[in-house]
Amino acid sequence: MIEINNINKAFTNGITALKNFSLTVQRKEVVVIIGPSGSGKSTLLKCLNGLEEIDEGSIVIDGIPLDHQKKNRLEIRKEVGMVFQSFNLFPHMTVMENINLAQMVVRKKSAAQAQETTMELLTKVDIASKAGSYPAQLSGGQQQRVAIARALAMMPKVMLFDEATSALDPEMIGEVLDVMKNLAKEGMTMIVVTHEMGFAKEAGDRIVFMADGEIVEQGTSEKFFNNPEKERTKQFLSQIF
Amino acid sequence: MKKKLIKINVLDVLIILAVLAMGSWFVFRINTALDYQWNWSIIPQYMFRFDAEHGWVPNMLMQGFFMTIKLSIWSTILAVILGTTMGLCKISGSLYKRLISNSYVEIIRNVPPLVLVFIFYFFIGDQIMTVLGVGDTVRSFSDTTKFWINIFFAPAPQFPEFLSAVITLGLYEGAYITEIIRSGIESIEKGQWEASYALGLSKSQQMIHVVLPQAVQRILPPLAGQFISIIKDSAIVSVISIQELTFQGMELMAATFLTFEIWITITALYFFLTFFCSLAAGWIENRYRESGYLA
Repeated sequence: MIEINNINKAFTNGITALKNFSLTVQRKEVVVIIGPSGSGKSTLLKCLNGLEEIDEGSIVIDGIPLDHQKKNRLEIRKEVGMVFQSFNLFPHMTVMENINLAQMVVRKKSAAQAQETTMELLTKVDIASKAGSYPAQLSGGQQQRVAIARALAMMPKVMLFDEATSALDPEMIGEVLDVMKNLAKEGMTMIVVTHEMGFAKEAGDRIVFMADGEIVEQGTSEKFFNNPEKERTKQFLSQIF
Repeated sequence: MKKKLIKINVLDVLIILAVLAMGSWFVFRINTALDYQWNWSIIPQYMFRFDAEHGWVPNMLMQGFFMTIKLSIWSTILAVILGTTMGLCKISGSLYKRLISNSYVEIIRNVPPLVLVFIFYFFIGDQIMTVLGVGDTVRSFSDTTKFWINIFFAPAPQFPEFLSAVITLGLYEGAYITEIIRSGIESIEKGQWEASYALGLSKSQQMIHVVLPQAVQRILPPLAGQFISIIKDSAIVSVISIQELTFQGMELMAATFLTFEIWITITALYFFLTFFCSLAAGWIENRYRESGYLA
């Protein structure tokens, strides 16, 4: 589903974010990426839909190469949904309008069709009663669930979660993680950058541990958390548990 | 909200007394040193006069007042169009567009407005308008058309001058509006661009649906302030014989020698106009805040 081959990414200030990074993600697989901050996790996600340009290497998503052809890029942006740490809902639109927008503008759906999908998705993330509210009237957890629904409205084949719960109050983390777990159960292909080890253990098919722009170790969640091989991994795990 | 009680302390009293003393001293100086004969009774007839055919019609001062308003409105429309275009060019990825908008803003902002007025007047008014035959075209219009041109713009014979004044003011204020638009758009969080990009919106769709609607709310207050500036700056085109408020004041002064009465009246008229606009701007801003999403 996703093939990342030897990508390199350095920022203009000289900091290397990704070094010869390769990763393959199967269809319906949930890959959880963990690692200390500054290890290039978020940059990796941003590279996957072209929000950041890679310097070298190749990315192929569902058979479409992420190159400089506008058509391919648009196709990938449609197929890849992204959820941000800071929600990034559009504050001047109601919840309903937030979710309708891309369906109508990009997928060219009619308003009625878009609304139907939107209400289904809002029911799915358990927030249908807030369809007419503005984002500022919602709690952080509610906003993030709307953001997930907004990404799902494009019917993406892959979902990327960039520290989706890091900006939330502790009591709201659960409601967002539940939505993500359900998605995983339904067979969505997901790459999740998170600090929630509980989620990683429960929902992750594979755990990837990154440091300094490279994969240090990866494996099934059971093996990764119980029998880590590398010293760097053990050190990291001992710090968080 | 409870209304705050206004407390007046000694310093306030002293300041009020000082202002009153200053005012009285001015009047005293004018009366004694200049031996000035006040004659306020003549001012109203220069605002409105009675015409045997049409009844009460605006006279010089009010004509100037209306001309100032028309001049300001048309200049603002032009300046907003120009400023939006140039503002968008300024944040564009294309070096060519940025070069055009930067040159425009830098040239306009680094030349005194009075000099610009003369340059534009002799270029646009004298050359371009003549070549385009604007004056002849307007003269050839039917009387009804001329009537409406008079209502919305200026009397037909002065139309080319009016147009060049509008273009001058529009070009001048457009440079400032360019910066207002640019900073408004740049103030929108990066996450908004990123989220709409990730949803598959094209660059222009991101701008139209997500960024501009939010930017407009931040742009409106400084834009209202700029409109007030335009009203005040419009006085400058009196030097190219546009018959707006300041020009009419100078004419009247030459005819009647009632220097103080006329300029006090003109000050009051300008103040009335701009103060009314500030109130309106404040009201719009409040309404936006109340109805808006910034719960």
